Amino acid sequence: MEVRTRLFGDIAIEDDKIIRFVNGLVGFPTMKDFALIHDGDAEGGKGIQWLQSMQDGEFALPVVNPLDILEAYDPIVEDELLAPLGELSPDDMLVLVTITVPEDITKMTINLKGPIVINAANCKACQVIAENDGLDVKFPVYDILKARKAGE
Amino acid sequence: MLALSRKKGEALVINNDIEITVLEVKGEQVKLGITAPKDVPVYRKEVYVQIQESTKEAVATASLDALKQLF
Repeated sequence: MEVRTRLFGDIAIEDDKIIRFVNGLVGFPTMKDFALIHDGDAEGGKGIQWLQSMQDGEFALPVVNPLDILEAYDPIVEDELLAPLGELSPDDMLVLVTITVPEDITKMTINLKGPIVINAANCKACQVIAENDGLDVKFPVYDILKARKAGE
Repeated sequence: MLALSRKKGEALVINNDIEITVLEVKGEQVKLGITAPKDVPVYRKEVYVQIQESTKEAVATASLDALKQLF
């Protein structure tokens, strides 16, 4: 599958590498096919990745591994909501959260309430809404990232 | 929009497999019971909209170069 993207130019992704959101994203039911793109120059595989829509070149969603930022992050989700992912072994489960970066980057946030779960074994994915009380849709992360960077 | 009046204890059936029952009416608040297949997500709309908006904002992300310095 090929797509002309705003951020990455023309990309071609093998069909078996396409991440399929069986029910689309929350609020975007038709957004189903994505490629997970690693930011080329990030060292050690950490950092921002992108979920690039294969249907809309303009639609790319920056995502991070929440555990890189909040070690204790543990969203509670009904097993049945993960049923679209097929058989899911913990080793194949990849959890990502979207990161929103406004002009003023000190106001950047991650969405802890609506994590994205990917089954790496079959590339099926879904976005779910965690049941935990107190998980923030706009959790501020600038200070955490800055402190971490300073400590490296 | 289809508008139907229901009393406490009465229900609606949607599409053969979803049932919504009025459990309690207290002042302005209505408590609903929802029986649906377990793979049908049911969300409070305000949370759903918050997540949808947050995704829109993430797609509109700006100042990526500054961001890279933090990762």
